Amino acid sequence: MTKIPPGEVIVDLEHVAMRYRRTRHRSSSLKQTAIATVKRRLNYEHFYALDDISIQVRRGETLAVLGRNGAGKSTLLRVVARVLPPTKGRVIIRGNVAPMIELGAGFNPELTGVENILLYGSLLGRPIKELRARIEPIAEWAGLTEHLDVPLRAYSSGMVARLAFATATDKTPDLLLIDEILSVGDESFQVKSKERTLELMNSGCAVIMVTHNLASISEYSDRAIYLEAGKIKAQGSSEMVIAKYKSDLKK
Amino acid sequence: MEIYDSAVKQSPVISQIKAIYKARNLLKILVTRDMTVRYKRSVLGIWWSLLNPIVTTGVLFYVFNTVFRARMPDNTSFLPYLLSGVLIVTFFNQSLITAADSIAHGAGILTKVYVRPEIFAMSSTLSGAINFSIGLIPLTAVLLINGQHPSFNSILVLIIILSMIFLIMGLALFVAIAFINFDDSRSIITIVLMMVQYMTPVFYPISVLGPNTLRIIKLNPLTSMLINFRSIYGGNGSTGWHMWAYMVGSSFTIFILGLWFFIRAWPKAVAKL
Repeated sequence: MTKIPPGEVIVDLEHVAMRYRRTRHRSSSLKQTAIATVKRRLNYEHFYALDDISIQVRRGETLAVLGRNGAGKSTLLRVVARVLPPTKGRVIIRGNVAPMIELGAGFNPELTGVENILLYGSLLGRPIKELRARIEPIAEWAGLTEHLDVPLRAYSSGMVARLAFATATDKTPDLLLIDEILSVGDESFQVKSKERTLELMNSGCAVIMVTHNLASISEYSDRAIYLEAGKIKAQGSSEMVIAKYKSDLKK
Repeated sequence: MEIYDSAVKQSPVISQIKAIYKARNLLKILVTRDMTVRYKRSVLGIWWSLLNPIVTTGVLFYVFNTVFRARMPDNTSFLPYLLSGVLIVTFFNQSLITAADSIAHGAGILTKVYVRPEIFAMSSTLSGAINFSIGLIPLTAVLLINGQHPSFNSILVLIIILSMIFLIMGLALFVAIAFINFDDSRSIITIVLMMVQYMTPVFYPISVLGPNTLRIIKLNPLTSMLINFRSIYGGNGSTGWHMWAYMVGSSFTIFILGLWFFIRAWPKAVAKL
């Protein structure tokens, strides 16, 4: 956290484009592809999920990403998470990335709470030694200390979500990716998890947040971009971008 | 601080092998997960993983020994011959599909978090290797009952397991990409696997094959593995350095080709997950 001075650029996207190829015959079977190849009808169409995107996010900043379904928001998160290499342009990420998306994707119902903390934590790239020392605090925060040695299939869905949230947010990353602010568990836990999210966002990491909840944006972030068909349609202060997005929605 | 720069071109295969090595902690956790789920939390435990090869061997033994009254040449004992074959083929078939699926069904993690997908295939393959090693227990028992004593050479089985890991990994990376890209590839792979199984001398002696068939059968890396395995574990049949060279060489080549292909195909495949 103190390794680089506050305000340093964590995410740097320079003219990033992400091009996908999709077949016109809309099928992904080997048989159809073979027939289409023989008939020489296998023409692909290319489309840009992201087109000429240049953004910078500094430490301590929260960037909200707006846009309709299919505008390229998820692709943007994947490119920043290093899952997708860009077709064009350059992506530079300084430091470690923690995605807070689809909590508990790496969980296994047959394993105990402890085993799942270790598994999920290592999937997020944390060393096992470090994780072992964090088991108690994570469980305590999630209110699951007494259930740690029980297999996850005995947990309620709320308990699973709490454990996932607690594990995912245990450490402040350099870059936090949020796909919709998560509200998990019962009401008191929802308050607690919202507090934790805000705490993480304010603890000096860079944040990229995708959301459809326009009301919550100004609460969390001061800067936003608005994507449409892979291009940046508007960027700037949250208020300005939200206003632009709202007026487009009405059209 | 780690800095990721998409503009920095990596030398593919070597950098990926390094990345896999760097993720060995995760690999350990994943293998432990597989083992815990399979053994600690199931009632039948270890016996469960032995059930498949033992039942298969039992059925085949009944069919060929009792129904067809087939006899092996040179007084080779049929039961250990069969069991060793079934163990090798089971190791191959099960791990290959599990490893490919660990990538093809890994969307929840692989599209969200930066984890090299090869790690998942590797962990499934290693779990398969552990299952195979457990299968050595009934094989040893059968050999001892037969009056055959595993020799010091048995330790060479480690080289066979290692080759098998390379072979399965390499092929699983091809199969994973096929699974992701083509919905109907699964049925084709199943047919190919069945053919490979019959192209491996599991229940027939090599000596019954004609020269042309023999040439094809010997191209199958599983054949060299099986011949080496039977020779060193229980002393059934002979092998030679060329068999060992072919086994190690072909497996390692397939591993490198699979890795090379996968690194190129993955960026497009991950978008389809």
